[in-house]
Amino acid sequence: MSLLSVDEVAVQFGGLLAVDGASLSVEAGAVTGLIGPNGAGKTTLFNVITGLQAPTRGRVLLGGADITRKRPYRRARLGIARTFQRLEAFGSLTARDNVRVALEMRRRWATASYDPVAVADSLLERVGIAGVAGTQVNSLPTGTARLVELARALATEPKVLLLDEPSSGLDEAETDALGALVRQLAAQGLGVLLVEHDMPLVMDTCSYINVLDFGRVIAEGTPAQIQADPSVQRAYLGTARSAP
Amino acid sequence: MTRRWTALLSAANALVLAVGIGGLVVHGVDGLSVILALVLAVPLAIMGLARARGRSVTSPPWSDAMAWSTMAVFALALCVPVYGGARSVRTSVGTVYYLHLPALLLMVALALPFATVFIASLRDLFVIRQPWLTLFVVAVTSALALSIGKAAWAGVPFTWENVLTMLAVALPFAGIYAMSASGLVVVYTTTGIFNFAQGAIGMLMAYVDWELVVNHGMPQWAAAPIVVLVVAPLFGIALDRAIMRHLQGQSLVVQLMVTIGLMFAFIALANMIWSQTDAHSLPHLFEGKGFHIQDVLLTWHRFITIVLAVLLAIGLRILLFRTRIGIAMRAVVDNRGLASLAGARSARLSSFAWALGCALAALAGILLAPETADMSTGGALTLLIITAFAAAVVGRLRSLPMTYFGALVLALVMQFSQTFLSFSDRWTNVIDVFPTIMLFVVLLLLPRAQLEFSRLNMVRRTERISSVRDTALGMTIVFGVMVFVSAFLSQTNLSRFAVGMCTAIVALSLVPLTGWAGQVSLAPLAFAGIGAVAYGRLDGAQSDVRGLVIATAACLIIGAYVSARMLMLRASTTALIAVLAGAFGFVAYLNAGSAVLAGVICVPVGAMLAFPAMRLQGLYLALATMAFASVVESLFFTQPFAVGVGELDVSRMKLFGFQFASERSFLLLVTAVFGLCAVGVVALRRSAFGRRLIALRDSEAASVTVGVNILETKLIVFSLSAGIAGFAGAFLAQEYGQLSAAKNFEMLSGLPIVLALVIGGTGYVSGALFAGMFGLGAILIQQTWHISLWKSLIYLAPGLAALGIIQNPQGAVHAIGEGMAWLLPWRHDAKREREELVEATSEQEVGSLGLEHAFTDADVLLIDRELGITNDVARAVS
Repeated sequence: MSLLSVDEVAVQFGGLLAVDGASLSVEAGAVTGLIGPNGAGKTTLFNVITGLQAPTRGRVLLGGADITRKRPYRRARLGIARTFQRLEAFGSLTARDNVRVALEMRRRWATASYDPVAVADSLLERVGIAGVAGTQVNSLPTGTARLVELARALATEPKVLLLDEPSSGLDEAETDALGALVRQLAAQGLGVLLVEHDMPLVMDTCSYINVLDFGRVIAEGTPAQIQADPSVQRAYLGTARSAP
Repeated sequence: MTRRWTALLSAANALVLAVGIGGLVVHGVDGLSVILALVLAVPLAIMGLARARGRSVTSPPWSDAMAWSTMAVFALALCVPVYGGARSVRTSVGTVYYLHLPALLLMVALALPFATVFIASLRDLFVIRQPWLTLFVVAVTSALALSIGKAAWAGVPFTWENVLTMLAVALPFAGIYAMSASGLVVVYTTTGIFNFAQGAIGMLMAYVDWELVVNHGMPQWAAAPIVVLVVAPLFGIALDRAIMRHLQGQSLVVQLMVTIGLMFAFIALANMIWSQTDAHSLPHLFEGKGFHIQDVLLTWHRFITIVLAVLLAIGLRILLFRTRIGIAMRAVVDNRGLASLAGARSARLSSFAWALGCALAALAGILLAPETADMSTGGALTLLIITAFAAAVVGRLRSLPMTYFGALVLALVMQFSQTFLSFSDRWTNVIDVFPTIMLFVVLLLLPRAQLEFSRLNMVRRTERISSVRDTALGMTIVFGVMVFVSAFLSQTNLSRFAVGMCTAIVALSLVPLTGWAGQVSLAPLAFAGIGAVAYGRLDGAQSDVRGLVIATAACLIIGAYVSARMLMLRASTTALIAVLAGAFGFVAYLNAGSAVLAGVICVPVGAMLAFPAMRLQGLYLALATMAFASVVESLFFTQPFAVGVGELDVSRMKLFGFQFASERSFLLLVTAVFGLCAVGVVALRRSAFGRRLIALRDSEAASVTVGVNILETKLIVFSLSAGIAGFAGAFLAQEYGQLSAAKNFEMLSGLPIVLALVIGGTGYVSGALFAGMFGLGAILIQQTWHISLWKSLIYLAPGLAALGIIQNPQGAVHAIGEGMAWLLPWRHDAKREREELVEATSEQEVGSLGLEHAFTDADVLLIDRELGITNDVARAVS
């Protein structure tokens, strides 16, 4: 039984079919990739999984239990966390406070051994931005703000982590660090679903990849299989063109 | 039509048929009623046929047939009771028709499926995702309407003549509302700004027309086109250029407050130019002559109004669908972001939209003015905005046809009540409230708003949150200043200061709600009013033991909840705080019981507003709170359990035996209370709950994904805000000494408080203090300097200050405070910032490099930084 599974989900906006019967599953301890051209429906699928968008059809299952009808905040408390494609950080708060908001939803009482500030700082350290803990997120560059979002997502102690294009705004070194962090998180038992356009990152980090096009999963498999798949090449990766 | 609708429709039809048959049985069979029953069976027969043929009723030809047949049945049902099914009685004055009761019931019950079909066939605009809720609301509204109608029936016979008279008044008014509402919609869809001043602009233009017609003797057929086609559009363009363009991209609160400020400014302007001591009136077109339809007089003025409204509808349709500029305006509806990228073109569009909006306002104003008694600046002309809102909201601020429909329904309902119903005593003001009730109902029926994603935050602000200690210190200083100043004030001024302080507490209630959580509420004074009444009624409740127990228990529970969920303290600390809170409740009840209870009573009322807040985003929520405040203003105070018809005397409270009879002692009490509340509010900001509120404002979508329960959070913050405002109201009641049903806590009077708070700074306690003192300051200036110019400047001042908000959306007080903070000896961080700023500005400008001295390595680095070249690339190149 997979950690998270999406079962024949369809989302229709009036006449537009954003997602058309997509199914995928995320296993614990592994990084699953979700790639596809822009407009394929990846973010919409994320919205369905986290509860921000109600599907027209289909189910979402967490650990076998049907959570399709559950409100978004309940799903968060059950262990689904995400980052956003368009930055959704709490701009007026500091990086530390961004993480604290998430931490304070987990615990009711402070105890002698649990100090939210220290935990928040350690999470920011983990994603590599301990230096900006006291800075307001509005004044941080986009890449750093994305990492704040990641730390905030981790603060909810999730079982499933959905990452929506986490590397945009990060340079080469930072992307490598991110890849290492994601692999580490998976090794600790988290199930990660990664949407990305940065192909080297995807191929290095993911053990299984789903390819989405026009709202449908057109291919799935290991990175090697996906790279060799002609339909994926046609839709997204591109083929090598011989010079005239 | 979906399956659900068909099921509802057939159920309703069956019900109606049953009622009809029942009526036939009870009242005896007559030919017309039998025919009616047969006709009712038609939609059901169609359904049966479809099923028999093995077709689904939801497939187009069948569903269309059902829809049309039901509508035909309804149309028939309207005519039959009036002419055929009506019973008639021959009296000495002629034949009088009255409605056959089952026929009346049939008519009303038929309205249900008709409404269903109508709504279902307008899927594009009213995608009803929750049909049960819609049906519930429609059923409750119809039931209420029926019972009100029955109870308030004035005994005026429901004759064709009376109906025609009613229509002769209702249709022109519908036209006027539709015109004003269309202007509102056009401006909103193109620029995203909701023009609160629409009615006021119409009023101003009506006065300009008056000036031309009455003072300069120009004939109306010349003056009106000049005002509508030249003056008003120019006014609109000037308004756009000077102010409105700068509002793009600002937060909703700022936008609302600027237009509200302008409304007050225009009222003041009109007062200044055309003295209100004499009444003004605009003559009807063609001096009230008209023609007769079946004995009913329809004046030319009204006829022309109807014709103009229809022509306008057609004209707008052509403009928006057939012309380039119109299509561009419609294109902006959903894609304002793209419009802002288009640059100059959107500037032309917004000017055009404002010109058109003002022209429509002017037209509505000129046509309405003769119908009003005296063209008063604060009266029907300006308040046209409320009916215009209600109509515009029916069209979801997007669709002009539905706006016209809304205006028609509203005018019909209002005129129906005027003609056939009479209200007395506690319900005298009901008719005034119909537009706001309709507004409320429509807002509830709108599809649930999607969770808000964060708006593009164009303003980069660095926020420094005051510490509790700093705030406590500040409040002590304020108290000290007040002790000193109050020794020198006269009795009247002491009382004014006290009112100012109470207003400051009311403004404080909005700081967590609007400033931090981002929920715009225009109803703080309504809660103050409820609190005031509660205090007045509960006066002297201290002796009640039951109340003591309730107050102690309530404080215990609230204290426990607050410390557990909102402050994130240790378990032992939480228990301690709960006990302390209970003790506080005990002591408070014994001494200031009624004041605290007044606040507590407002809490559940405030919580009620949280539910619409879940469904409505930004502007619609603000309108809903405005509707709520309006309903409270008109309906609450007249109720016998509130104030009733006479006056309610209120006495000052006692604290540990000391009664605050003297004005000075009361002023100091209220100042102390403000200080305590302010400290509490700042403590809240620094708590986990405070962070959660800011998170909610910044990104609802993200908050929800980290586990924030939005409904619970909104419930708490709305309750808290209402509680603080109610608490303030208790003190206001004590200050006034007497409450009467008329004109104490008007919705319009609450708006300047919100405005002043925005000017001062919604997120700051100092902003609340500013808000309280603002109105006070204006009054004091007016009293000291006896120049007539100042008198009107009071009303202009909010308008002018509103313009200042555009430049400083954060609010004036905080900006000024932060700018001067480095002067204070203990503000090391402010000193450091200032030093950095001074250093940065004294750094050499890149532009002078190479001209005055040679490049150094440091200069090269500076240039690289300016160009955004990172270290890596520079290294690679070199």
